[in-house]
Amino acid sequence: MKIFIIALRNVNRQKKRSFLLGGAIAFGIMIVTLINGFAGSFMENVADNFSQLFAGHIFIEGVEKTEEGKSIALVRDETILLETVREEGIPVQYINKRSAFGGTVFFQGKSVQQQVVGISWDEEEFLKDRLHLVDGGFENMELKKGIILSQNVAAKLKVEINDTIDIRLRTVFGQLNVGDFVVAAISYDPGLFGSISAYANLEYVNELLTLAPWEYQTLGLFLDDIRLMDVEVQRLYQALGEKVELFERKETVEENPFMAMMRQGEEEEWEGIRYRLFTLNDFLKELEQIVITLNIASVVILLVLLVIIMVGITNTFRMIMYERIKEIGTMRALGMQQGGVKSIFLLEALFLSLGGAITGLFTAGIIMFGLSKIYWGLGTPLSLLMKNGYLTFSIQTGQALMYVIIVALFTLAAAYIPTRKAAKMKPVEALYNIGTFRR
Amino acid sequence: MSIIQLTDVTKDYPLGKTTVHAVKGVTFEIIEGDFISIAGPSGSGKSTILNLIGCIDTPTEGMVTINGETTSGLKDREITRLRHNVLGFIFQSFNLIPVLNVFENIEFPLLLGEERMGKKEKGEWIDYLVEEVGLTEWKKHRPNELSGGQRQRVAIARALATRPQIVLADEPTANLDSTTGESIIELMKKINREMNTTFIFSTHDMSIIHIADHIIQLRDGLIISEERREIPVS
Repeated sequence: MKIFIIALRNVNRQKKRSFLLGGAIAFGIMIVTLINGFAGSFMENVADNFSQLFAGHIFIEGVEKTEEGKSIALVRDETILLETVREEGIPVQYINKRSAFGGTVFFQGKSVQQQVVGISWDEEEFLKDRLHLVDGGFENMELKKGIILSQNVAAKLKVEINDTIDIRLRTVFGQLNVGDFVVAAISYDPGLFGSISAYANLEYVNELLTLAPWEYQTLGLFLDDIRLMDVEVQRLYQALGEKVELFERKETVEENPFMAMMRQGEEEEWEGIRYRLFTLNDFLKELEQIVITLNIASVVILLVLLVIIMVGITNTFRMIMYERIKEIGTMRALGMQQGGVKSIFLLEALFLSLGGAITGLFTAGIIMFGLSKIYWGLGTPLSLLMKNGYLTFSIQTGQALMYVIIVALFTLAAAYIPTRKAAKMKPVEALYNIGTFRR
Repeated sequence: MSIIQLTDVTKDYPLGKTTVHAVKGVTFEIIEGDFISIAGPSGSGKSTILNLIGCIDTPTEGMVTINGETTSGLKDREITRLRHNVLGFIFQSFNLIPVLNVFENIEFPLLLGEERMGKKEKGEWIDYLVEEVGLTEWKKHRPNELSGGQRQRVAIARALATRPQIVLADEPTANLDSTTGESIIELMKKINREMNTTFIFSTHDMSIIHIADHIIQLRDGLIISEERREIPVS
């Protein structure tokens, strides 16, 4: 126990040196923790942003082959789909049915490109919670031709509530069509994709797309937990596969399941209706590479910093040994075994590394807390990585612990060589500083 | 009863391309309870002989025997154990551990051995030693808060902590003024009498050797005289 006290007091003896060494370790750990913290929440934020845009985690899209051989996206009969979801007990928070088109909005000589999503407002209460209206109200959407534009688009077109706008689009069969809409509300959407979509009534969107009022294009399932996505889609795929025709979900190195299904639709000979079952992860898998790259980068940075720190520690400990050579001789003369000398100095190294690592983690925590309180805005591509314009960080305890252990092991390894030399010195050489330590 | 025997002991040191013959075939023996001074001018081989007796150095030739056991054949671990169990050290520049206070410095050797003393017993023993060297009020102070004489008193108490048979003191008064130096030697003598601990101290100061019962005078690595004034009663 006394050895611990001696080691601890020795660390405290040269405050400036211990501060610099521990500071170097703390800096390394802090950088790596920040990178890991960012990478940890990267996928979560991206997935969250995309799930808001697409309003779901798992999607079922109907594809029908027309007599002319053209593929059109629609779900004509949802009964089997909804029954299967229910029977399988898929943990769904809510289900939405959407049709959408991309078109050009015209108003008094001005025009903008806009994605218009047809919503069944009775079923998408969550959207009402998320959309913050700055003008107008959801009650205006009772008007069949009502549309909610984002503040951004409304400003570009200089439209006000109750103004009528025209939108040019193509039907599911590829014919040009024009629809007139009445501005029902203007929204400020704090989400990343707030200004990308305008929201209209599903029934009217269907009409413009030449779909029947009860039809739609995509059934979206918003799960209770985003992490269940991959497991639940497999279950649903098995169950649905027994009841309807599905495009095969195949994942290869070259293409994700969604791309594989799109290719199958074009290359394979088929008739009638088939369904594509896909998830957000099918698209986001590509992004996992970024997370892997970030994690590799953090490990490489950690290793480079550790090598630099190790050189520093080895040199510092050589210096410490030289300074305390007489003390080592005294302890040996008093009956301390070689192992005891090693223990004291290795404990000093351990205290330094643990102190540095914990300080690094703590500092990283403070920085992350500070950064997460700053609003960075939504108008930049970086907002894809954020949560509503705020940076978020996610630290895994196991990973942080592993870094602390790695740092401790590297520090011990760095201190071991000079420590071993010091312990092996003859007491007389140490006491009278004859200088064999330098050999 | 003989506790230490040196037989034809020589010690050579390499110094650059030459060799220094620090001790040149020395033979003598020390009786248990002796209070012995190894005296001589600087470079006469006093410290070397103390280092050889203290097993912190090994002879080039000859034999050092402690309690009938020849030290030259022992492994490092055994020699370290021997140093801890049988020997106590007092150094010229005190060599206290700076991060430990008086009490802890005295306690330190007790933490190194295989035998463990009970906490209460240990505390009482250290308190006794602290009192014996007159530092009761200073026992929570660190070495840098003490005077040279006080530091050497701590070193004496530390040397006695393991109740060694032999205490080696290498020029214990060299860094002290003459009055303090004399009081340190008197203290050592007192403990020698009270505990029957064999004290061997080296000095170049001829004014203090008269306190010793047994005086060995060295010059150029050779014994030039040996005088026994009193034979200790074991």
